[in-house]
Amino acid sequence: MADKERDPNPAIVYEESSGKSHRLRFAILGVVAILAVGYMIYAAFPGNTLYFLTVSEFMAGQEYQDGRMVRVSGKLMEESFLRQEDSTVSQFQLIDEAVGPGIAMNASYVGVMPDLFFNPHSEIILEGHYSPDEMFEADSILVKCPSKYQSLEEEQRLQEQEVPAASS
Amino acid sequence: MATVDRVKQPLLSFSNALVVLGAALMLVDVYLIFMVAPTDAVLGNIQRVFYFHVPMAIMSFLAFFVVFIASILYLIKRDQKWDRLAHAAAEVGVVFVTLALITGIIWARPVWGVWWTWEPRLTTTLILWLIYVAYLMIRAYAPNRTQGALYAAVVGIVGFVDVPIVYYSVQWWRSIHPSAVVGPLAESGALEPVMQGILLFSFLAFLVLFLYLVVERMALRGLEDQVRLLKFSLHRTGR
Repeated sequence: MADKERDPNPAIVYEESSGKSHRLRFAILGVVAILAVGYMIYAAFPGNTLYFLTVSEFMAGQEYQDGRMVRVSGKLMEESFLRQEDSTVSQFQLIDEAVGPGIAMNASYVGVMPDLFFNPHSEIILEGHYSPDEMFEADSILVKCPSKYQSLEEEQRLQEQEVPAASS
Repeated sequence: MATVDRVKQPLLSFSNALVVLGAALMLVDVYLIFMVAPTDAVLGNIQRVFYFHVPMAIMSFLAFFVVFIASILYLIKRDQKWDRLAHAAAEVGVVFVTLALITGIIWARPVWGVWWTWEPRLTTTLILWLIYVAYLMIRAYAPNRTQGALYAAVVGIVGFVDVPIVYYSVQWWRSIHPSAVVGPLAESGALEPVMQGILLFSFLAFLVLFLYLVVERMALRGLEDQVRLLKFSLHRTGR
């Protein structure tokens, strides 16, 4: 209501110094900002590079196995996890859920496993490289969780609905 | 002197109503999130970050949409009120996207195992943050206020392109980030009804907070403009 009255006339009021150094600094800043954003977009998505490959894509593509850094995603194969006693050296196999256990990738990791690594819902993403002895040496492990949120009670209720029909 | 009094009254009562409502909603929201919301079966208690993270991200989208519309209107009508709205919404949007990034980082560490990874959703969100930080810097470094407002309006319109890219990034590219729980990409059944209800309530609380911050920032910008006007006329007449 009173809003309009208060509006000072901007064109007259705000003309402060518009020296050349100001303008130059502004132009440089703009160019730097655009270059930075452009580079980030380029660096994030160069061509068709993907955030990760699936296990079957990785195993099928010889070019990925030359020791370059790559991310590979898959499911932990049941009962494939082995840890050397009294150490943090682990070995396991990842499989492609869509393809089945036919194609498996041997992997090793030194360090503490993330909490959700062993959760059957989790997808594992490994960052690392393939060594000549056909072992994926992971530098880091990321765990992708399903985009579904459920309470413990709800999960149990749903399982109980399914289980009597399926098993016993 | 009389103008200063006139500025205060109508705005303060409206923003007071918003701040009382917002504080009440926020308190109830925190109670719902920590006491009522069920613990997630897979992720555990850390999943409660979700009720902050998602509304913050969506409020930043809303803020940048307001910047987009207000910038277009400012370029057409050259009315200061649209510039003030765009400026206020951009600042509030930067706050929300910063908080969304921080809560995301806190959530990612225990669940994914890393604080940050250069995957599509995270990278495009960081770009979004940079675009609107640049937007504010352009205003600050512009040779004068009018030119700053014009350049900012252009960035506010062009920069909005990144918002749908952020939203669709989880569908367009392979990503570690969970897919959308709100909007056109949301799948039904991704959330338990109780969780859905609390998320909705959280949206409401953050919407009121958003409105309050924008209204208050616009009023402050109005006062800043007046101070500048007074200083300017003082400078003119004084010497």
